[in-house]
Amino acid sequence: MSGVAAATRTGTRSHAQGGRRQLSRRGRERLAAAFFLAPDVIGLSLFVILPMIFCVVLGFYQADGFGDYTFIGLDNYRRMFADPIFISSLETTLLYLVVIVPGLFIVSLLLALLIRQRFPGVGFFRSALFAPNVVSLVVIALIWKFMLTDQIGFVDKLFRDVGLTPPSWLGNPHIALWAVIGVTIWFSMGYYMLIFLSGLQDIPREYYEVARIDGANAWQSFWNVTWPLLKPTSFFILLTSTVAMMTGGLDLLYVMTSGGPANSTTLVIYYIYEQAFVYGEYGYASAIGAFIVAILLIWSGILFALTKGGRFSNVD
Amino acid sequence: MAPASRGVSRRTFLKGASAVAGAAAAPTLLTGCGSSSKPKELVFWNFYSPNPAVGSPDLAAQDKWFRDMVASWNSQNETKIKLEYVTVLGNPKEATAFAAGEGPDIFMISPGDILRYYSGNALVDLGQYMTKEAIDDFYPNNMQSRLMDGKVYALPMEVEPLAMFYSKPALEKAHISEAELPKTWDDLLSLGDKLKSAKQGPMCFSTAPGYYQNFTWYPFFWQGGGDVVTKDGQKSAFDAKPAIDALRFWKEPIQQGIMPRVEPAAADVITSFTQGYASVYLNGIWNVSGFHYRAPKFDYGVFPIPTPPGGKPTTTLGGWAFVANARGKDPETAAKFCVWALGSMEADSIKRVVDWCIHAKSDISPRKSAMAQATKEGGYDSPIMKQFKNDIFPTGRGEPRYPPVIYKAISDAIQNCQLAGGDPADQASIASRSIDAYLKSYQGVKIT
Repeated sequence: MSGVAAATRTGTRSHAQGGRRQLSRRGRERLAAAFFLAPDVIGLSLFVILPMIFCVVLGFYQADGFGDYTFIGLDNYRRMFADPIFISSLETTLLYLVVIVPGLFIVSLLLALLIRQRFPGVGFFRSALFAPNVVSLVVIALIWKFMLTDQIGFVDKLFRDVGLTPPSWLGNPHIALWAVIGVTIWFSMGYYMLIFLSGLQDIPREYYEVARIDGANAWQSFWNVTWPLLKPTSFFILLTSTVAMMTGGLDLLYVMTSGGPANSTTLVIYYIYEQAFVYGEYGYASAIGAFIVAILLIWSGILFALTKGGRFSNVD
Repeated sequence: MAPASRGVSRRTFLKGASAVAGAAAAPTLLTGCGSSSKPKELVFWNFYSPNPAVGSPDLAAQDKWFRDMVASWNSQNETKIKLEYVTVLGNPKEATAFAAGEGPDIFMISPGDILRYYSGNALVDLGQYMTKEAIDDFYPNNMQSRLMDGKVYALPMEVEPLAMFYSKPALEKAHISEAELPKTWDDLLSLGDKLKSAKQGPMCFSTAPGYYQNFTWYPFFWQGGGDVVTKDGQKSAFDAKPAIDALRFWKEPIQQGIMPRVEPAAADVITSFTQGYASVYLNGIWNVSGFHYRAPKFDYGVFPIPTPPGGKPTTTLGGWAFVANARGKDPETAAKFCVWALGSMEADSIKRVVDWCIHAKSDISPRKSAMAQATKEGGYDSPIMKQFKNDIFPTGRGEPRYPPVIYKAISDAIQNCQLAGGDPADQASIASRSIDAYLKSYQGVKIT
C-alpha cells in the first residue's frame, strides 16, 4: 500500500518506464540549470574560491618556496602591521584609489556623454577610445615609459619645445605615482566609458523629451534625468573599478617603475608580488593578500548597504 | 512521450560526469605513471638558448655555445639534457616552479639568489664531483659567494666586473682629454658638470630599484672599507662612514642635475652612447662584445670606478653560474653535467669556458687555466679587455649573497637618498636597524 501511496503522491514525477524513473519538469529544469551553471561554478571554484582558501590558510604558515611549510599562527599578520614598507604601500594604495576611482568615473562618464551624441565619425571615436583597452598592459607600459623618459622622451621634448622645464615623470617620487595614475586612467577609460554608454542608452528618450518640454536646460536634464537613472551603472562602475584598481595593474607598475622611485609607486599589489616572487615569502604575501581581500569585502558590503544592493530605493 | 525524450536519467548523468572526470584525470594519471620510470632527459633552464629571437651575432654566438655544449654531452651520455629558454631567470616562472616541486634539473643563478636556494635545500654540492685541482682553479675572490661551509654549490661561467664606460666623441666635444679622466669621486662630479656645460649626454648610474642597482652601488661602499655585517656575522655594520659616504655620493649628481633620474634608452649603454643620450656610464664588461657586434665603429673607452679620498679601488664581480637542482629528477647526473661543462680539468671543459668568455661574450674567465688559455688565444689583446683583465678585475670583490631582507634594506637606503632626497646618515641608520632585527633570528650560513 505504501508503494501505491507514494506513487500517487509523486504523481507525474515518477512514470515507471522499463524500470526507469522520469524526472519532473522542475527536476529537469534544475538539472538543466545545474548544467548551465556548472562551467562557471567549476571554474570559479577551481581558480578563485580554492586559491582564496589556500591563500588564507597559507597566511598562517611560513613557506620557503621550496615545499616546506611551518605553522606560525598570526605571526605574518603581526609582521604586516610592523612592516613600514607595507604600511607605506597601503597609504600609497589609498591615495591611488582616492584619486583614480573618482577620476576614472568622471572621465569615463564625460566621454560616454560625448560619444552618445550622433555626429559624423562617432564610431571611430568610440573605437579609438576603447582601443588602449585591447592592448597588452606591458606594451602600454613600455610605450609610456619611453614617452616619459627624462630628457629624450616625447613628453619631455614637448614641454621643452614650448619653453617649459619638465619634471622627471618617472624618476621623481612626488610625481611618479601621478604619472602611473594618468596612464591607468588613459587605458581604462574606454572600458568604463562603454559601460556608461550602455547605461545611458537604457534611459528612455521620452524622459528627455518631457524634460525639454518642461523647459529644462542640458544641466538640469542631466541632473534630474540622467544622473538618477544612471545610479545602478554608477554603482557597478564604482565597485568594479575599485576592485580592479586595487588588485590589477601589476604589469604596468613592474614595467614602468618597478615600484620606485624610493617605493613611491609600490602599491600593495606590487608589494605582494615582490614578497612572493622576488623574496620567496609566500606565507607573508598570502597574509597580505587575505588582508586586502577582507578590506575589499568590507568596502563592497558598505557600498551594497548604502545603495540597497545597487538598486537605489529612489530609482525603484 | 515528450518528457521522456527531454529527460536525462541520473544514470546517464552520472555516466557522463564520470566520463568527463575520467578524461580530465587521465593526463595526470598517465603523467604519474610516466614519472616512475628512470628519467632520460634533464631540463636546463637558461636565458640564452634556444633563443627565439636571435637577431644579432652576439646572441647567435651565445645560443650556439649552449647548443654545442648540450650536443656534446648528449652524444656521450645516456641521460640527455634539454635546453629550455626562459626570458629572465629569477622570475615568477622559476619561483612558482620550485614552489610546486617542478623546478628545472639544471639552471643558472646569480649570487643574489643563491642563499635562498641553498636554504631551501635546492642546490647540490658540486664539489663532490670535482677534483681539488679543479676547485682551486677557480678564482677565490669570485667563488666566495658560491661556497657554503667550504662546499661548492655553483660553478660560475663568467666573471663580469663593473667599470665606467665613456664616449670618446662626447668627451672630445666637451674638451676633456683622456688624461683628465676621473680618479676620485670629486673628479667624477666635476666631469658631470663639464658634460652638462658642453650640452653633452650626462653620466649615468643605475636608478631603478632592484638587485642590479645594489650590485652597482657596492663598489662605492666597499671602496671606503664598508661592510654590511660585522666579521662574526652577528651584527649590522652598515651604520658607518663608508655607507653614509657612498649614499651621499649617489645622491649628489642627481641633486646637482648632472645625472638623469631615469636611465635613457632602457639602460642600454650602446644605444645611449651612439645616440648621444649619455656620455659616461657605470656598467659591466659584457658591453664590450655588445659594442663589438652592434656598434663596431663607435669609439669608447673605460676607466676604473673612481675612489673617495683615501679609498681603495674596488669593483664588483658579477656573473651567472650553473647549479643542479637537489630536488630535481636526477640531481647526481645534473651535478655531473655542471662539473663536466665548466668545472673539470679536462681540456674540453677549460676550452668551453674560454669560448664562452672571449668568443661568445666578452668576460673575464672564472678559472685560472681558462684565463691563461684565453690570453694565449688573444682574447685580452684589445686595450679595453686588457684593462679589464689587468687593472679592474684584480680589484674585484664577488657580488654578495645577502638575503632578501638585507638586500631590501640597502636598496631602500639607496633609493631614498638617490631619488627622494633622504639624509644619508638617517637612511644608513634605518637600514642598519632592519639588518640588526633580521640578524637576531637569522640562523643560516655566514652572510658575506
